[in-house]
Amino acid sequence: MAVRKKQAKVCRICHRVVEGDACVMCGSSNLSEDWAGYLVIIDPRHSDIAKKVGIDTPGRYALKVR
Amino acid sequence: MTMTDTNESENKVYAIKTTAKQERTVADNIEKAVREHSEIRVYAVMVPDELRGYVLVESPDEIARIEQLVEMVPHARVVLHGDTSFGEVQHFLSPKPVVSGIEEGTIVELIAGPFKGEKAVVKRVDTGKEEITVELYESMVPIPITVRGDNVRVIDRRDDEH
Repeated sequence: MAVRKKQAKVCRICHRVVEGDACVMCGSSNLSEDWAGYLVIIDPRHSDIAKKVGIDTPGRYALKVR
Repeated sequence: MTMTDTNESENKVYAIKTTAKQERTVADNIEKAVREHSEIRVYAVMVPDELRGYVLVESPDEIARIEQLVEMVPHARVVLHGDTSFGEVQHFLSPKPVVSGIEEGTIVELIAGPFKGEKAVVKRVDTGKEEITVELYESMVPIPITVRGDNVRVIDRRDDEH
C-alpha cells in the first residue's frame, strides 16, 4: 500500500480536509498542511461527535490545525 | 415525552484495530463501505493521533454489525470487544496544545531536527504558535533555538523537588 506522499491540506477556518487550493465550504484559501487527528463525519444529525465539535455537514475533518 | 424521541446516548463507540499507519485509509474505507451498505449505521469515524493503530467508530449498532464492517474494509483487523461511551473518548476531540506542561526553565530533550538528542533549557514558550525557544544545555555560548513544541520531550521540570 502506497504511503500518502502528499499531505492533504486542511482549511484553517472550518477544519475540513481540502483537495484543491480553496476550501469548498467556506471558500477560504487559508489552508494548512500541518494538522493532526482525523475525523470522518458520515451522519452529522445523529452523531454525538459531530455535535460536540459543532459540525453539521458530512465530510472529512482534522481535529487539530496549526 | 414521545416514544419516537431519538436518544443520542444510544450511540456506542467501538475501537477497531488497524494495520499500522493505515488509520486514515481505514477511516476513508469505512465511510465508503457504510455508504454502500445502508444496513450498517456508522455516524462518525475518529482517528486521534495519540491512538496509533486504532480508529474509533460511532454507531448505534451492536458489535456484530461492526464485525461485519471490519470484514469489508481492507487494513481493518478486528473490533475490540466491549463498547465505550462517548464521554470516554470526547477528550480526543479537543486536543490540548503540545506546549502544555512546558514552561520556562523546563529541561527538555530535542527529539527531531539537527540538534536531535541534545538537552536544552526552555527560555520562552509561545502557546499560540506552539513553539518553544530553548538554549542547548552543553553549549558554551547561549544560542537560542526555536523549535516546535512536539519536537521536544520533557525531561525535568524546574519546580520538581526530586
